[in-house]
Amino acid sequence: MSIYAVNKICYRVVHEPELRQALTDAPEQALRAATPPLSEEELQALLAGDVGRLSKLGANHFLLHQLGRFRLLGLDLPTYAERIRAAYRPG
Amino acid sequence: MAEIVGGVGVPHTPHFPGIVDRDEPLGPQLRRLYGTAARHLRELAPDVLIFFTCDHYNIFFVESVPIFSIGVAPSAPGPSDYRELPAYTVPIASDLARHIQAAAVHGDFDVGMSQEFEFDHPVTVPLHFLTPEMDVPIVPVFVNGLIPPLPSAARCHALGARIREALTGMPGRVAAVASGSFSLEVGGPRLSATSHTGIPDPQWAGRVMDLMRAGDVARLVAEASEEQLARAGNAAGELLTWIAMLGLVGHSPAAFLEAQPDFGHAFGCWLAS
Repeated sequence: MSIYAVNKICYRVVHEPELRQALTDAPEQALRAATPPLSEEELQALLAGDVGRLSKLGANHFLLHQLGRFRLLGLDLPTYAERIRAAYRPG
Repeated sequence: MAEIVGGVGVPHTPHFPGIVDRDEPLGPQLRRLYGTAARHLRELAPDVLIFFTCDHYNIFFVESVPIFSIGVAPSAPGPSDYRELPAYTVPIASDLARHIQAAAVHGDFDVGMSQEFEFDHPVTVPLHFLTPEMDVPIVPVFVNGLIPPLPSAARCHALGARIREALTGMPGRVAAVASGSFSLEVGGPRLSATSHTGIPDPQWAGRVMDLMRAGDVARLVAEASEEQLARAGNAAGELLTWIAMLGLVGHSPAAFLEAQPDFGHAFGCWLAS
């Protein structure tokens, strides 16, 4: 398992409109087709739009925010930012 | 010998072109700041721009992440990452680019060669404001300022100086462009209360301004450690493009330098020393 698989999904989102469409139409299927494969934990976190969890797993933030920018997996930029803030809120 | 005439440093915030086009409240300030840099460049009348930029995970993320690379294609389109921004085909001075890349390698700088690529917004946004006619070809120099491990500030400065040497014996007037911020976090835990970006270290951005204003590039290079850049945000390594540009242009105090403190970045103009 490597967080690279998550980062690569986020990278591809910027450059592949067809992947953005697939992540909108059938997200689990699109994520299960990823190469290299995502771990089950990464896949479930992506499906849930749990960017706080993905951040804690070591995902690259610059890449991760692209999910919010392109409004994928239940995210938009305000939701993305709020979930990152929540993950790092003290206490 | 090629005449090195000066340089500029500007930010590349992707929503700036739209803010200006829609005449939003920040528009007049952006028009003035980019306009000042553009006027400075026009007065320098360069035949070519050495353009220092950081790829934003668009060209180099999957196959390989070069620490330095020079684009040698005849031209390249862009931006690849913001299709809603104005699209350009950017001319590249490819013979000069190949010459500089070879000279750098022969001078013990292991600079890669990029033969086919699309530019991303850190190249097209500055050119949109500086040379929108795309009538001045560029030599793109990619500096890895975003994906750790980063090159040292000293190495980036030396690369600029090496390119200056490589221009010896080449014809024409050469200016340099740097593109990027001094403190910026995109998408990470240090975002602001109201945005997906943040300015984690405004004090550092101010310190960079002070040192540039004083022309004290040696101290800037000494203080811009990888740790300091990391403290200043996950995009604060973009400062390395400014340091490389100053290595090429020389250490005279800036002819113009003005910050946008809310953004952690600045606009600067230099005459070659």
